[in-house]
Amino acid sequence: MKTAVRTTNLWKIYPQEPDPVEAVRDISIKIETGDFVAMAGPSGSGKTTMLNMIGGLTRPSQGQISIGDQEITEMTDKDLAQLRLEHIGFVFQSYNLLPVLTALENAEFTLLLSGIPKDERRKRVLELFNKIGLSGLEDRKPGKLSGGQQQRVAVARAVVANPALILADEPTANLDSKASADLLDVMERLNQDHGTTFLFSTHDPRVMERSRRLITLVDGQIESDKRQNHLSVSS
Amino acid sequence: MAHDRLWWRVAWRNLWRNRLRTLITASGLAFGYLGAVLMVGVSDGMLVELIENGTRLMLGEVQVHSEDYLPERNMHRTIGGYEGTDLEIFLNQINSQEDVTAAAPRAYGGGLLSSGEETQAALLMGIDPDREPHVTTLLSRVVHGRPLVTGANEILLGSEMVEQLGTALGDEIVVVAPSSDGSMGNDLFTLVGTFDTGIPAIDQNYGLLALSDLQFLMAMDPARIHEVAITVGNAQDSPRIAETLREFLSDTELPVQVSSWTDLRPELAEMVSLMNAFHFIVVIIIFGMAAFGVANTMLIGTFERRREFAVVRALGTAPIGIGQTVVYEGIVLGMISLVAGSLITWPILVWLHNSPIDLTQVSSGFSVGGAQWRPVLRVEYSIESPIVAGLGLFLTSILAAVYPAWKATRVLPADALADR
Repeated sequence: MKTAVRTTNLWKIYPQEPDPVEAVRDISIKIETGDFVAMAGPSGSGKTTMLNMIGGLTRPSQGQISIGDQEITEMTDKDLAQLRLEHIGFVFQSYNLLPVLTALENAEFTLLLSGIPKDERRKRVLELFNKIGLSGLEDRKPGKLSGGQQQRVAVARAVVANPALILADEPTANLDSKASADLLDVMERLNQDHGTTFLFSTHDPRVMERSRRLITLVDGQIESDKRQNHLSVSS
Repeated sequence: MAHDRLWWRVAWRNLWRNRLRTLITASGLAFGYLGAVLMVGVSDGMLVELIENGTRLMLGEVQVHSEDYLPERNMHRTIGGYEGTDLEIFLNQINSQEDVTAAAPRAYGGGLLSSGEETQAALLMGIDPDREPHVTTLLSRVVHGRPLVTGANEILLGSEMVEQLGTALGDEIVVVAPSSDGSMGNDLFTLVGTFDTGIPAIDQNYGLLALSDLQFLMAMDPARIHEVAITVGNAQDSPRIAETLREFLSDTELPVQVSSWTDLRPELAEMVSLMNAFHFIVVIIIFGMAAFGVANTMLIGTFERRREFAVVRALGTAPIGIGQTVVYEGIVLGMISLVAGSLITWPILVWLHNSPIDLTQVSSGFSVGGAQWRPVLRVEYSIESPIVAGLGLFLTSILAAVYPAWKATRVLPADALADR
């Protein structure tokens, strides 16, 4: 199986006074293409820092990161932006939709950046909205959507360009149980239908349960890394 | 292209997220535009007034003399020499020039005026009473009596000269002047009017006579004149028009000198240059102040949206794209401000142009280089200054967006997402 993400002896040290903070300490992991992986751990364990480094949003202090067959640690900001546009989708804890754009415009954002023609963009977004239960909400601004709906728009935005890898930072943290379950259904379905690799950071047991691989971090290091039985999408 | 449309859309909508802030910022720019255009308009009004009073009163905007007449003003150096020139043909040639509005011939002499026991030295100016009003406003400054009639031995004197001579309308004035044949000419003239230009040098020293009367007094042939005063469409174009006329008259083989008012009143021309430079500085100061205000507002907006910038970076936008949207906001803000500025500026400009503010209660005016400025806030406008000010405003809003845009490109996505 191909490797979607590989980190080698990854360190992230924040230069703080009086002592530097070692957020990530010597982590080496390999994530296979099409996997559904949760990275768990308490606050401050380094989950978000790991996601940010893998997504090229912050640079490691030491070590290497490869996305697919591309080594990204030496890439320029512009090349990293292009890599994210073509290969990586992001889902954030607090949705982070652009408030001035409608649900549809938010979802088609990456397609627009990729220069996909309008008709094609609309077709793909509307199909996706239909699949994830957002039909009829296309013209609403984020402020007029519930938290669950906003997070589904965020997922639509992340997956609409068919990236190979989705990085989701605590995607269910602000959602109730029902919305969380619905969102996980959506993401599992996309994972199964498109073979998209998902890597979550979470401390939500429901997400941990439904991941196929659970990596637990403590104090910036891997405490455990285990495969688990995967529950199918709820009906 | 689709990119661009997206960033324009985002820029437009971002501006309206905080309507009040956008409106206040746009108002600042719009009032800056009003200030700049109005300042230039008032200043132009002063300049036009100074130039008009300096040229239209007596000088004319262009003058033609015999090439050796200036600066001594020797009475024998008439246009065409001792023979003179066919005045009608010469004036027609000048009037045939595209930019020339009117031309009037003149002769000058120095003399003594006596009335009763009083005698005063005077500059005698011979004018054509029919042509002169088309070139200068001198005859419109007659405050008592009436203008001259040719061939009737009449004289107009400045109000202060009248006081010095202790004379009154209808009195006879003895005029003695050196003649071109070496003798002394003298004759009786009737005071038919007094003029008041507000310029002491003129009101104290000048006596106006009909051209032919002065020529007769000074034993000069009617074909001999010292000067042709010319008025043109736009006084500021005078140097160019003088140059064109110089080239044209060089073909007539008359040895003449053509001077624009900028040559004849260099101190006034200096004043005009100085005020134009002053315009430029004031406009820069106005828009400079506006630029800092706009930059400050946009910087605040940029800081508020750090997280959004981080998100679009995470979604695959290159740093330059982030900067682009902030600059677009500046452009859109500039356009809104320009529209608002134009809407408030033009009515005020037209109103002030038609109804100048009278400041005679607080100032009595001043004169520069023989040109008087009345204390009336006259506003002049042209298409030029609003366009230049509009470009200034536009440039201001773009330049004011550059630093915030640069700051936006420097946002570290991970830090901004973590609200660090």
